Amino acid sequence: MASPAIDAPSMLLEQFVTAARNAAATAEVVDRNPQALADAILAKAGDAHCILFAPPQVMPAELFAQFAADPRVITQPDSEQMVHSAVGVIEAFGGVARTGSVCVDVNYQRTGVVSLITPLCIAVLASENIVPQPRDLFRQDLLHGAGLTRDFVFITGPSATADMGPLVRGVHGPHRQHIIVVR
Amino acid sequence: MATTVNPVDIQPRQVANKSEKRALLDAIRMTLKIQSPAVRHNTQTFNRNRYVAVAKLADYDQLKDRARQIKEQAIADSPRLLKQLEESVVRNGGHFYLAPTAEDANAYIRRVLVEHSVKLVVKGKSITSEETRLNHTLEGAGIKVAETDLAEFILQVADEQPSHIIAPALHYSRERITALFKRKFDTDLPLDTGEELTKFAREKLREQFIEADAGISGANLIAADSGSIMLVESEGNIRMTTTLPPLHIAIAGIEKVIPSREQFGTFLELLPASATGQPLTSYVSILHPPLKSPPFAAPGKQEQPREFHLVLLDNGRSRMREDPVLREALYCIRCSACLNSCANFETVGGHAFGGETYSGGIGGSWEAGTGKLMNARFAELCTACSRCVNQCPVRIDIPWLNENLRQRMNHAQPTSFARSLFGELTGSAPADTSAPLQKQFFGNYHTFAKWGTTTAGLSNSSLDSPLIASAMEKVFGVDHRRELPKFPEKSWVDLHREEHRNGTSPSTHLPKLALFADVFTNFGYPERGMAAIRVLRKCGYDVELTPSLADGRAPLSQGMIDTARQQATAMLRMLRPYVESGRLLVVVEPSVLAMFRFDLRHLMEDQTFFAKLRDISFEPMQLVWKASQEFGLDLSATFPAERWHHDPRLFYHSHCQQRTCNAASETIDVLRACGFDVVTSSVECCGMAGSFGYKADYYELSMAVGEDLFSQVRAAEEENQPRILVASGISCHEQIWAGLKRPVHHPVEVLDQIAI
Repeated sequence: MASPAIDAPSMLLEQFVTAARNAAATAEVVDRNPQALADAILAKAGDAHCILFAPPQVMPAELFAQFAADPRVITQPDSEQMVHSAVGVIEAFGGVARTGSVCVDVNYQRTGVVSLITPLCIAVLASENIVPQPRDLFRQDLLHGAGLTRDFVFITGPSATADMGPLVRGVHGPHRQHIIVVR
Repeated sequence: MATTVNPVDIQPRQVANKSEKRALLDAIRMTLKIQSPAVRHNTQTFNRNRYVAVAKLADYDQLKDRARQIKEQAIADSPRLLKQLEESVVRNGGHFYLAPTAEDANAYIRRVLVEHSVKLVVKGKSITSEETRLNHTLEGAGIKVAETDLAEFILQVADEQPSHIIAPALHYSRERITALFKRKFDTDLPLDTGEELTKFAREKLREQFIEADAGISGANLIAADSGSIMLVESEGNIRMTTTLPPLHIAIAGIEKVIPSREQFGTFLELLPASATGQPLTSYVSILHPPLKSPPFAAPGKQEQPREFHLVLLDNGRSRMREDPVLREALYCIRCSACLNSCANFETVGGHAFGGETYSGGIGGSWEAGTGKLMNARFAELCTACSRCVNQCPVRIDIPWLNENLRQRMNHAQPTSFARSLFGELTGSAPADTSAPLQKQFFGNYHTFAKWGTTTAGLSNSSLDSPLIASAMEKVFGVDHRRELPKFPEKSWVDLHREEHRNGTSPSTHLPKLALFADVFTNFGYPERGMAAIRVLRKCGYDVELTPSLADGRAPLSQGMIDTARQQATAMLRMLRPYVESGRLLVVVEPSVLAMFRFDLRHLMEDQTFFAKLRDISFEPMQLVWKASQEFGLDLSATFPAERWHHDPRLFYHSHCQQRTCNAASETIDVLRACGFDVVTSSVECCGMAGSFGYKADYYELSMAVGEDLFSQVRAAEEENQPRILVASGISCHEQIWAGLKRPVHHPVEVLDQIAI
């Protein structure tokens, strides 16, 4: 008999992916190994000349090792590189099932700028860190209370505006938001 | 007489301050002519999306209760929280400044920027800085200010004030933005789509972000315990503003401070759902600055250390806190639900229904609280239709605030002998006799109705005379294009007394009813009242008709609160025995039902009695439905639609306040159960809203609002098959007649005609 404790995360994952797509993000689920993750990121990055990478804080660095070995990856960008890169890769320490949001620590090294400045942002999220609702980030008992102490941003889809008339995606922040959930 | 300016020549800035009535009237003409289509489209989109989004919040009502509670506590505890916040900000490594006035806030920010030799500052969206006119001060000091929110960017280019508290340029259509940019920028770039315009602005602003030495943001909420701020946006400009430059200044009103960061969770979902109808906006930042990550240094520039200043603005808020009415406005979380659910606002937007900074139903209290009372004159456009009341995430009774503002403005007027005498003769409370004649005329409607009914022959022929119509417009400001309701030969109460022997109540086990003879039905539509009695008796109810007394609605809507209280007191004294004998209260006119459901609580001391009244008062069709659901009444057998002499295809428009009371759906249920084919309207209000549409100053606006309803009727009849029009409110009837020149039926009249 399947226990709710096992079922719940997979339901959250499914709900998360649907909600993220509804919020005009793209999302995929990949196995948790360096090869699979590197393949997924690089496939999405396409032929970008340089890829900004803000190394992870929560997930092990080894998981990203194969991707980080790609010669186009820059972890210590200068301002020119920041302004002209097409892709930024960041870690999300949490995700929200109901809204498809990823929660990104903007205080950790250059994660904030990297999540914001490139036309395509790729966020990597561990499936067990998906919580049901946005408000759960303000609970002590979920994600080890990370939402109560960190400087972070809920990112829900790409940046958007309706100020110029019709809805336009891609304003000051990324035009495309991609999420890779590792399970 | 002043020359009438062509509406296309009126600049929004010229009419931002509405302390003179002329500015309000010019602003209405200007917005109706130029801005209305864009305002309508954008606010109604927000409003539709909001209904969908809040329906998805499983605990919406509890969230609202919690949000209200947090804000009440926060405002009550404000001085202590500000101290605690200062400590938190300083502990985090930031600077804290509590600015008593707008000038103080501007001077502080200018000083900080000058000390850092800032040449260019990027700004995220901040309505508080609009309140202080910060840009003006900074530009005066030679500092270039780049507004980076695209709406604020448009306003900066156009030199206009915001027209909406969250989407400040929503009065601009795409076409008008194209024309504006082509006029203001020397460019050959194509600017004919939203994408092209966005790209153009983005590229301009990206340069500014990279070059900027400082960023200024607002804050949606601030937590005293940790110095954390919450920033809600979709474009990413606020993130850029708070992340890239080394110097970050956040400016916000002191009312944004709540006790703890943990409480952000309550507002996090409530705010975007109530605002744009999104589950979350693209970005919600939770920061306790200064950030520890390195700032961005433009190519060739040296990296500077980060610095953060929190500027909290008082500017009248402490006074508002001491004021039992304006204090309510401090609970506002600036979601704009009250703007988007307001039919008048949807039609003209904040350049008419707003002041120099704040707009919409809640805007009057803010303009009065942070400026001068008469700046809130635009609060006249709040018709108290009440559609905003249930939409407010912190449960502010916005119509009540506006009725109070109106009272204060009435009292601020110098009284005159004519006003005093008129007020004394017609029933105004002494304090209200300084109100303009128009307000006292509408506020004391029952007095005129009583006189009119007593002398029906004479008064009705007078109403038909063009001479009288012209005099009514001159003296009372009643628009000559409106038809005032005719007075009946006999009031409802008189008719009922005469017919009493023919209609006795059945003796059944259904609850006993007291049918309140509201003055509008009593002196305006006695036959409708009689129909209500017959229909309710047909259902098996024992019905007793009460005497007719004014209920306070009419003077309340004119800001004559003392008069309203007098009327309510007398009415409640009369009604108490009915209520204590266990009868349920039935009210035909929905605006009067709304008194029993919510407005009376402001006018009476005995809140236990109010709660009792609220729970036992009903619209007649609710009781018809109750008879069918709880007492086995077969509607299709008792009121078969086949007996209807007209087309059984109906178009039903429920009254605005009826919907706020949750007293509308039963009418649709009943009509359908009887066998009618019913299409319903989805507008927030018909635009008449009691006396509002009768006023010559607002006739055009009222009819423009009505156009949404009229076009829904036309759309429902597009296959050229007319529907019979049915509506529950007296003023809705008048409005539909004015717009479509077709008769309108009341649901009880429909049932009365088909009863077996």
